[in-house]
Amino acid sequence: MMNNLSAVLSGAVAMASFATTLFFVKFWRQTSDVFFLLFALAFAIDTVSRAALGLTETSNELEPVFYLLRLAMFALIIIAITLKNRLR
Amino acid sequence: MVSSFIYGLCAATSAVCAGMLLAAYRLERYRLLLWSGLCFVGLTVNNVILLLDKIVLPDVDLSALRLFVALIAMTVLLYGLIWDTES
Repeated sequence: MMNNLSAVLSGAVAMASFATTLFFVKFWRQTSDVFFLLFALAFAIDTVSRAALGLTETSNELEPVFYLLRLAMFALIIIAITLKNRLR
Repeated sequence: MVSSFIYGLCAATSAVCAGMLLAAYRLERYRLLLWSGLCFVGLTVNNVILLLDKIVLPDVDLSALRLFVALIAMTVLLYGLIWDTES
């Protein structure tokens, strides 16, 4: 059961993540650097997963599936930095 | 069993992200890397608390604490994006 405080915090984190996504999309459009696009994609995934987690009443069996999205987010960040380092 | 693996992997990969970003900042001194690195330090703490909440202490509800940590982490990155990047 999600209490009120957790629901508010959950929405706030999703919103912050969405705003961050927009910033990285802006940087990508300015520079055409794939690094920023991957970051934007990562934070977009985070926004979706946090909103989905906040909106659904998930069972303990189902909930870990939502965290696979979060795992994809971190994987994208690792790929972005690795690509950037290899290009240099 | 599968869930503790996924939660553990989330914590591990976010820690790798934080380490890589902070290492890149040490080399390049590009401030956005610092803010991103600090954000991922917070997200790592968030995932470690998630692991504690779901696996180690299933009877205690730590959701408010871990979400608060995540919010601080994201706020740090947003602060950097708004104040510390050129146009």
